[in-house]
Amino acid sequence: MSTPLPIAEIWVYLAGSPLFALLLTLLAYEAGMTIYEKLDRHPFANPVAIAVLLVAVTITLIDMPYAKYFEGAQFIHFLLGTATVALAVPIYQCWDALRGRVLPLAVSLLCGGAVSILSAVGIARLLGADTTIQKAMLAKSVTAPIAMGVAERISASPTLTAVFAVTTGVMGAIVARYVLDWLRLTEWWQRGFAIGVAAHGIGTSRALSVNAEAGAFSGLAMGLHGIAGALLIPLLAPLLG
Amino acid sequence: MIRGLIVLLSFQGAGEIVSRLLALPVPGPVIGLVLLLAFQVFRGRTDEPIAVVSAALTRHLGLLFVPAAVGVVMFWPQLRLHLWAVVIPLAVSVIATIAASASVLRFWPGKTADRKSA
Repeated sequence: MSTPLPIAEIWVYLAGSPLFALLLTLLAYEAGMTIYEKLDRHPFANPVAIAVLLVAVTITLIDMPYAKYFEGAQFIHFLLGTATVALAVPIYQCWDALRGRVLPLAVSLLCGGAVSILSAVGIARLLGADTTIQKAMLAKSVTAPIAMGVAERISASPTLTAVFAVTTGVMGAIVARYVLDWLRLTEWWQRGFAIGVAAHGIGTSRALSVNAEAGAFSGLAMGLHGIAGALLIPLLAPLLG
Repeated sequence: MIRGLIVLLSFQGAGEIVSRLLALPVPGPVIGLVLLLAFQVFRGRTDEPIAVVSAALTRHLGLLFVPAAVGVVMFWPQLRLHLWAVVIPLAVSVIATIAASASVLRFWPGKTADRKSA
């Protein structure tokens, strides 16, 4: 058979295949989950934040361009759409609990959505952030795949919007417990819904790890915010421009 | 497992088709979500294969955000210059958003309170 390759050439081959990016992403997430579980699912040990940090540091150290990394990692990214569809299952499981609460949930969503946009863009403007940054903040409370689509329609940067969306999700997953305790919200469905409005998928993932009912309502809020955001943000964007 | 994946991907595909055909601003996966929800309501239950795959995907939802979020490395030079102008609005905004949507639910008159006292 063929002669063994020198290690440097094996590395060149591996770095060029999707295998490396895939493995790196899974390893980083597994490390994040292990730390999260070890620390008793403490909100500050957010597994997504840990994974992103590990991957970002690794690809910076080995000088791998983001586009190259994404070529491999896109297989994971693709499943985001499938997972969005899959959220219909936990939502359906709460169908009965949901039906009697349509109005408060709708009002809660619209208030949350409005506060999200106005506070982020307003404060960013006050602090002198440029318009690229301000625009990318419009869709940041909407789940990343939808936020990226909305960003394209309002000519904001999709990648920067995704970064803000994920940052928002992680921050929301971290602070939610404290804000909700402070407001003395005790019902799981209320807590879940509020997390989902503010912190979309990453908040939902956090809520699911705490309580199934909270997770379902968080998934519902994320889906509804996705639909409302996709419809309303393109209309709002020119007004804030 | 495979059957459930086929169903989910089909709903995702159907969502993409509807989204494009009607030129809707809502992305395909969200329409797929609505269609799958309608399907379950119509059936009156969740079929086992769908439940299995859905549980696997939603349990590790966080993992799926990692590739997009790593995009932060591309913007890092720009973000570092405006770090506070980015971090402070995002942090204040997410706290305000949670508080606003939670307050509406907590202080909503009538219905929402009685389940607790029951």
